[in-house]
Order: sequence, then C-alpha cells, then structure tokens
Amino acid sequence: MTTILELRVQAQLESPGRSFLLDASFNSTTQRTALVGASGSGKSTVLMAIAGLLPQARGYVRVADKVLLDTEHSVDLPARERGVGLVFQDYALFPHMTVEQNLAFGICRLGKRPNEAERDRIDALIRQFDLEALRGAWPRHLSGGQRQRVALARALAPQPHFLLLDEPLSALDAQLRVRLRHELAEMLERVQVPALLVTHDLSDVEALAQSVIHLDKGRVVDSAITESATPT
Amino acid sequence: MLTPLWLTLKIALLATLMAGVVGIALGWWMSQRRFAGKNLIDALLMLPMVLPPTVLGYYLIVVIGRNGVLGQYLDRWFGINLMFTWQGAVIAASLVSLPLIYKAARAAFEDVDGRFLHAARTLGAGEFETFVRVTLPLAVRGITAGLMLAFARAMGEFGATLMIAGNLPGKTQTLSIAIYDAVQAGNDAQALWLTLVISVVCVVVLVVSGRMLQAKH
Amino acid sequence: MTTSSSRWLGKFTLLAALSISSATLHAQEVVVSAAASLTNAFQAVGQAFEKSRPGTKVTFNFAASGPLLAQIQQGAPVDVFASADQETMDRAAKANLLAEGTRADFARNTLVLIVPSTATAVPQKLSDLGNAQYKRVSTGTPSSVPVGRYTMASVQEAGLTATLEPKWIYGESVRQVLNYVARGEVDAGFVYRTDALIEKDKTRIALTVPTTTPVSYPIAQIASSKNAALGKDFIAFVRSDAGQQILDSFGFSKP
Repeated sequence: MTTILELRVQAQLESPGRSFLLDASFNSTTQRTALVGASGSGKSTVLMAIAGLLPQARGYVRVADKVLLDTEHSVDLPARERGVGLVFQDYALFPHMTVEQNLAFGICRLGKRPNEAERDRIDALIRQFDLEALRGAWPRHLSGGQRQRVALARALAPQPHFLLLDEPLSALDAQLRVRLRHELAEMLERVQVPALLVTHDLSDVEALAQSVIHLDKGRVVDSAITESATPT
Repeated sequence: MLTPLWLTLKIALLATLMAGVVGIALGWWMSQRRFAGKNLIDALLMLPMVLPPTVLGYYLIVVIGRNGVLGQYLDRWFGINLMFTWQGAVIAASLVSLPLIYKAARAAFEDVDGRFLHAARTLGAGEFETFVRVTLPLAVRGITAGLMLAFARAMGEFGATLMIAGNLPGKTQTLSIAIYDAVQAGNDAQALWLTLVISVVCVVVLVVSGRMLQAKH
Repeated sequence: MTTSSSRWLGKFTLLAALSISSATLHAQEVVVSAAASLTNAFQAVGQAFEKSRPGTKVTFNFAASGPLLAQIQQGAPVDVFASADQETMDRAAKANLLAEGTRADFARNTLVLIVPSTATAVPQKLSDLGNAQYKRVSTGTPSSVPVGRYTMASVQEAGLTATLEPKWIYGESVRQVLNYVARGEVDAGFVYRTDALIEKDKTRIALTVPTTTPVSYPIAQIASSKNAALGKDFIAFVRSDAGQQILDSFGFSKP
C-alpha cells in the first residue's frame, strides 16, 4: 500500500488573546481520507498547511509523490504551484464572476483567452457536473447544492493531484445533506483524485472516506481504516 | 467667466489621480500587514485631513517654497519653482485628498474576504494576478466612492492652495479662491454665480458616489 | 446661611464686582479698520492714544482696503476707517457708509520697487523688469488692493502693461507682497516705502516709482458707529502733531 499523503507539520498561530500550536503527523494510504475532530482542533489549519496557505507551517508534506513542503531542505512551494485543489466550507465562489468564469479561473491565466483545448476542458467540466443551464449564472442566484457542484468543478479545473474539502456539506440543511452526500461520493469516485475531507459529521465519514484521522487540540490522537465505502 | 471652473476641474482631476495612485497603494499595503508602528503610520496618513489648511500650507511652503527644504534644489538644479503655479496647487490638493482615498481603499481591501484570495492562489494565480482579478474588482466600489469624495475635496481646497499657488486669475485662481476674491472686491453677483456653480458640481459628485456606495453585489 | 455657603456668596460677589468694573474700564472702545500698510504706524498711534486717554481701548483691524470695505458693507461694527487710496473711500462714500463731514486726508506715501536683499539683479529703471531674469513680479490684487492699482497705473504710464502681464504674482495685501519679496519667492515687488522700511534686512529698494495720482490716505467715521465721540477723538489724534510725528517716524509724509 503506497502512502498517498504524508504529513508532519508544526505551526504556531498567534492571534490577540489566543495561541494555537499545531503539531500533526499522519500518513494515509487510502484514496479518500477523512479528518475529524471538534471545532478548534485544527482541522482547517491542516488543510491550509497542505494547500500552501499557511506561512507559519514547518515540517514535511508529501502528496501523491510530490513534495510540497520540506523545511529541512528549504522546500516550500507557493500555493499556486502545489497542484492541490481546495473546496471551501462556504464554497467561496467569486461573486463577481459567472459560473463559467469561476470554472475558467483555474484554467486560463491573466489576460489570456482560453484556447481550443482549454475551452474543451471547461465544457467537459460543465457537462460532468451538470452545469450547462447555469453557465452564465451568478453565484448569489445559485442554490446550496448548485454551489457545491460549481465549487468542486472549479477546484478540479486546473487538474490537481490532490483534493482538499473543508466541511463540504455543513453549509447545507439536513435533508439536502443526505442527498448531496450521495452525489459527492459519486463525483469523488468518478474523478479519481485522492482527497482529504474535513468533517465533524460521522455520516460523512461512513459515506465518503476509507480511513479516518482524529485530531484534538492540534495533535493526531487516533487513526483508522474504516470499511471501504461504496455509494449506496 | 468660467475659467476658474476649468482650472478647478483640471487641478482636481490631476490631484485625485496622483492621490489615487498613492492612496490605493498605501491602502492595499496597510490592509495586508500587521506590524509595530502601524497605528502611527495610519495617523500620519490621516493627518492632512485634520490639520488646519493653513498649517498644511505652511508646511508646504517650508518644503517646496523657493528657499524650502526641497524647493531650493528644485530651483537651483532644475530652475523649477512650484510656488504660484497650478502644479503647486495640484500638490496641495492631492495632499488633502490623500487621506480620503487611503481610508476608503484600506477599508475596501479589508472588506474583501480572505477566502477569495486563498481560492485564487490554489487555482494557480500569483499575487499580482490575484490582486487584479479578485481583490481589485471586489474593492472597486469602495475605492471609487473614496475617489469621488477626494475629487470633491480637491475641488474645494482653499487655504493651502492660496498659500502655495496664490491668487493668479487664469493661472491658479480656482473657484473657491475666485469666490473669496469676488467677496473681497465687493463683487457679490460674481461671488453668487461662482458659488452656485461649485455647489451644483459638488452635489452631483456626492449623489453619484452615494449611489455607488449603496449598490451591493 | 452656613459658613461655607456665605463664603461662596462672598467670592461670587467679588467676582461679579470685578467683572462689572472691568467692563466699565473698557466701556470706551473704538474699532478702527486700517489699510495693511498702516499696521506698524497705527499700532504705535493706538498706544499713544490710549495713554493720552486712560480708560480707552483701540481695537485694530488691518487688511487690504478693499476687503475692509467689504466687511463694513456687510455690517462689521467699525467706528473708523482708514484706507490707502481715495478710490476705496469714494466707494464707501457712494455706499453711504461714512458719517457726514468726517472725511479727511491724514498721510501720504511713496510707491517703491523692491527686490530681495539676496538678489543678484537689481533693476535700474522700471523697464528693466521686462528682462528675462525677472520672472515673477508682485503687487496687490488690483481689484481690491490700492497698491495694486497705483502699480498698474504707473506701469501703464510707462508703457509696460503688456510686458509685465505674464509676470504678475498678486498678493492679498501690500504686506503679503512684502512677504513674498522678503522670502525670495518673487524677483521684485511693488510696495510702499513705509513697508520696505519694515523689512530692511531682507529687501532693498531698487527705485522709487512715480505714481499717476498721489498716494494719499483718507480717514473717516463710519455712519453706523456706536462710538461717534471716541471715533472723532481718534481721527483728531491722528491728524494732531502727536499723531503726525508718529506717522513721520515710520516714513509717512504729510497729507
């Protein structure tokens, strides 16, 4: 079993009145891993560290054969070079861009118009996530489920090697959550990109992940491989 | 009859442009960092807004007057003298406008949710691209409102402008100075006419900028 | 009454008495609006006047003659008005602002051309100002400052209006013109001789400028004055030997 994600990260976060020390180490051998813990345990901080959005991070991060961070050898790739996609808790879709433009952001750089290959990729994504009818829509007019699809599609647009999902279902109401849990499981199975999923909901773990890491007060306290999950 | 108006518009536009570039850059820089002495720098940048115009005018004379700290070199090396010129008026007006733009820009940048910037970076955008494609469009409403207020302020600048640029009809006699001049000379009709002109322009600017601040995404 | 409250009453009475008496001390107050060029001379005259009449106070308001007239027109409580030219006083008379029969001339002055004392170029005659080395020449704003009008008339007489037109830097008052020259912001300026004497160190007189009309200073009582008697006294003092001597010491000539 190859290690898909290898992580040994320390980070000291200071904010007025609070001090938080992250000291997490774990390896994951499964395609989809869940990271669970109470709020404040440092789950999102771990995601930030992997994505390259945490300047204070020290240590070692390797994801799918690519070393993203290696403080000892002065390796610290900037976020834009890490090839890691991130789906935010409330999706963070660019409010001043349409759905199509949001998707295209990760594909075309500044000032360049998409060439034919890139346009094809955008169209494929739109088809894959069933967004044809929403191409020109503004994020504020979308439902929760629609936003989730767009957020996922956008994160996958630059063809990342790894996917991070920060509480992807918590922004939805209970009923919707059940339905979209299935959809998300299907989509993740389809795209075949290894993923780390942060959640505090154990139903998510069951449906979406094959192993789980427990985080508490910035440290890993437990890890386990669950029954291999299949979408029902 | 309307020369002071064109002169005022020219000076106000250039001053807003100059203060705009500096103010937006400073607003961005200050919104991104936390460091010791930040409050002090913030206070210094807001100073031109609270200092009496005559105090500002005096400081300007000390700096760019012919025998001033910088002025003497400008005069000796380049033969440039900014006193009594519309360029000097632009400097005075941009100084009083700077705090308005800086404050608005900084607030607008701080309002931009950091998560959008994070998203942009994970999607492959560098710092400059993130600024241009995400930060700026999201901050543009607040910044523009600040620019319009700064423009109105620059148009009305009087005290410091009078001290630096003097009262030269056709060259540096802005609308506010022309009104002052007309009152001094007992020319009430002229004073009233000029006052109405500048009032109308200011109301228009305030209405438009108010609308820009109101409209939401 | 308790001892403490009676003490307070005592203090209050004393304070009231003092303020009433100081009010009566300044009951004799006269407000004089005078041309900027009279600043130093009139301040001395005012002090002498107060000494000669204990219990009186003179309050001065110095500015260019034009703005002073505008203030009076707008209702400023002025008792006496002294301007640097007849034209401003004529305008006051036309607006019915002056008390009948109180107008009189009290001094004369000379128009001079001055340069900064550090100047390398000193004009020998008026037309020298047309040379390239004199880029900026200052005088008062003609529409509201008498020295500006005297200057323009003299310049026109010398046929230099067009030559000097692009060089003018207008000052709010003759004292501002003096200040511009003293600071070296301009290459030359037109002021009165009495002003040039104030800034002897920083400026030097290049030449005396002949004027088309004499530089004559009139003084008058304002019709709406509430202190007519004191105003009359002040004018009389200015025209008396004592007053004239003070004016002379500052460089003014007889009317």
